Amino acid sequence: MSGALRVVHFVNQFFGGVGGEEAANIPLEVREGPVGPGRLLQQALGEGGSVVTTLVGGDNYFSERKEEALASVTAALRSAKPDVVVAGPAFDAGRYGLACGEVCKAAQALGIPAVTGMHPENPGILSHGQQIIAVGTGSTPVEMPAALQAMARLALKLGGSQELGPAAEEGYLPRGIRRLGAREAPAATRAVDMALAKISGKPWMSEVPVHLPDRVAPAAPVANLKDATIALVTTGGLVRRGNPDRQSSGNPTRYYRHSVVELESLSGKDWEAYHGGYFNAIVNSNPNYILPLSFMRVLEREGVVGRTHQWIHAMPGVGTPVAKSRRFGEDIARDLKEDGVDGALLVAT
Amino acid sequence: MRLELGSFPVTDIVFGARTRWQDSVLEIDARALLEEMRSDPRITRAELELARPGESVRIWPVRDAVEPRIKVEGPGVAYPGICGRAIDTVGQGRTHRLAGMSVVEVSEVLPHDAGGDYNSIFYDMSGPWAEMIPMSKLLNLCLLVEADPALTIIDQNDAVHRATLKLADRLAATTVGLEPPQREVFELGPVDPALPKVVYIPCLHSAQAMSGNGSNGFFCTTATYGLSMLTPPWPMHPNEILDGAITGPYRIATSWHLANNRILLELYRRHGVDLNFAGVIAVRTEWTTMEEKELMCLQTAKVAQMLGAQGAIVAWDAGGNEFLEVVHTVRACQRAGIKTVLLTSEDDPTGGAPTLLEPLPEADAVVSTFIGGSGYPGGSGPASSQMLPAMARVIGSPTRLVGAVRDEVIDVAGPMPPPRYNDTYGFGRYSGVEY
Repeated sequence: MSGALRVVHFVNQFFGGVGGEEAANIPLEVREGPVGPGRLLQQALGEGGSVVTTLVGGDNYFSERKEEALASVTAALRSAKPDVVVAGPAFDAGRYGLACGEVCKAAQALGIPAVTGMHPENPGILSHGQQIIAVGTGSTPVEMPAALQAMARLALKLGGSQELGPAAEEGYLPRGIRRLGAREAPAATRAVDMALAKISGKPWMSEVPVHLPDRVAPAAPVANLKDATIALVTTGGLVRRGNPDRQSSGNPTRYYRHSVVELESLSGKDWEAYHGGYFNAIVNSNPNYILPLSFMRVLEREGVVGRTHQWIHAMPGVGTPVAKSRRFGEDIARDLKEDGVDGALLVAT
Repeated sequence: MRLELGSFPVTDIVFGARTRWQDSVLEIDARALLEEMRSDPRITRAELELARPGESVRIWPVRDAVEPRIKVEGPGVAYPGICGRAIDTVGQGRTHRLAGMSVVEVSEVLPHDAGGDYNSIFYDMSGPWAEMIPMSKLLNLCLLVEADPALTIIDQNDAVHRATLKLADRLAATTVGLEPPQREVFELGPVDPALPKVVYIPCLHSAQAMSGNGSNGFFCTTATYGLSMLTPPWPMHPNEILDGAITGPYRIATSWHLANNRILLELYRRHGVDLNFAGVIAVRTEWTTMEEKELMCLQTAKVAQMLGAQGAIVAWDAGGNEFLEVVHTVRACQRAGIKTVLLTSEDDPTGGAPTLLEPLPEADAVVSTFIGGSGYPGGSGPASSQMLPAMARVIGSPTRLVGAVRDEVIDVAGPMPPPRYNDTYGFGRYSGVEY
């Protein structure tokens, strides 16, 4: 067996042969060689890998004394020095699935690749699915041989430092990581095929899983507007005239802060728009259209709002991916929060 | 509506003493043709250069690519309406096309008059970028054309695009009176009533928001019978599109892509086989208010219902806020009981961000054509840091302005980051895949 990968297998108390629910509190046991389903795993690994150690842990032990359990796993892995860790499969067993997820992450933290298997709706996937390699299984151990075959294949690849291909090709559950790839048929053919499947009630697989955006709970209304500090933020591409800051006209790399404390209004002599998504000349004649400072000054005088925040935030919103927009939004919100702003007016174009 | 499309393959283009198509070779009398281009006093430069597939050539800046097409029977002209051409309804009779080539409009004229406007598209005839785009597999006859910079952006655009169309017309005219080597008949004849009715809904950006006069001036953008402004959902027969009724570029999609629209041809070629192609609804995008956007979506679904659609394919030419019209059209169709597929590229997934600007649950059948920020397949790191290889020859301008405010000059022949790829009309196999 020289050259075979060293494999450590993790199973729970049930598959470790210790017992059912009554044994769910057992602490981590380290045993030599394969145990229970580990024998099937060994068969599936063949010459390529050897199950040198089996870790057996109780479901409740992992859920109730997580830190202690993971410290024992880490210690056991340090001493066993495996090339790859295999956990489970856990099927639809929730606590077991969570433990498998934790074991995989503990191994990965030591630089050891790991693979598990479980039902796609197992809490272990819901909690750790983006960080672990897991083969999707059915609900019950009837599928044990198939699941271990698939896991063994991935374990040999991972243990041999091979990079994994796309989830669908390799047979692991998608982790929410999207990369550029290629499919067999041209997009037009795929679109028509998908439409016909959908119309006829046949199964189809969207190439972009529905990934609903973050829902942001609205902040509480400004309690007392006439004492409030209101900030102005614009994605209309406002720049100082001549664009001395060299702000881009789209897909910005940063936002800019300008003080308007001494200004009554934005004059077209001093400010303009530089934005690739609309005809800028109208705004250039009155920049208050994209940052309504002059209107805010009227509201201040009338006592409707307390004051306009000294700092304005500006950038062009056009063509900015969600990831970047989220970061800009968080940073601007932090700026405003630190400055004690009560409310913000975001002017989009 | 019956259209016969006669294809004249072009396997080589040679410069010679006359302009004719013979035995798949297109001979061009460049001097006579260019004289005609230059007879428009607005034109300050007109030159011709040829780029062949596989050559170490970069074409910059590319504004449009036009497949020479001409109507030899039936009303109207190919590419109707744009640049003052006749507006008769097209799609009937016989149209000839020169297949395997395009006339590439190479010009520094800016597409719109939005802030910081710039050109960004180039073609490589070899290397990784050439692998990605259908245009690099064509013989590209490049018209290097510039207009008087004192003119308005609209007039400059009209001048250079009119010259491009004039050249394409002259080349297509070489097939008049000849028998096409290949013919295909396009007709939405009666089919088995059990086959599902499917409509195609291309969503087209309107440059109206980028225009000072809000009028129908031609920018470097798509025009429907010449109209580029915001218009309500426009039902069309697919034959009209084969005759170029929607034409002009938007970003990487060109007139060539529209006339050879892969989605439209897929639906057409499966008409009577496994579906019933019920027609096209062209939707304009980048309306201003949410209410306007929503209205267009609801009206699109209404028209689709009137066409009897059971299914729809929605695609768009990619941008930002236009996605709201697009994905709300998907929702409106779904709510009207029409099973809808969205064909789109995805945004940058960095940080686990959703790759669709507004991912609605109704958009549950999506064909992904690319992932934003990916550059080219096999390229590592963000697109902006990936470099396409240097090319031996540049057709067009030798330099390009880059940087945040486009004031840094780079050598076009040298290493260059790839342009933003998109596949509005479904030619490619690229896709976002899950790891």
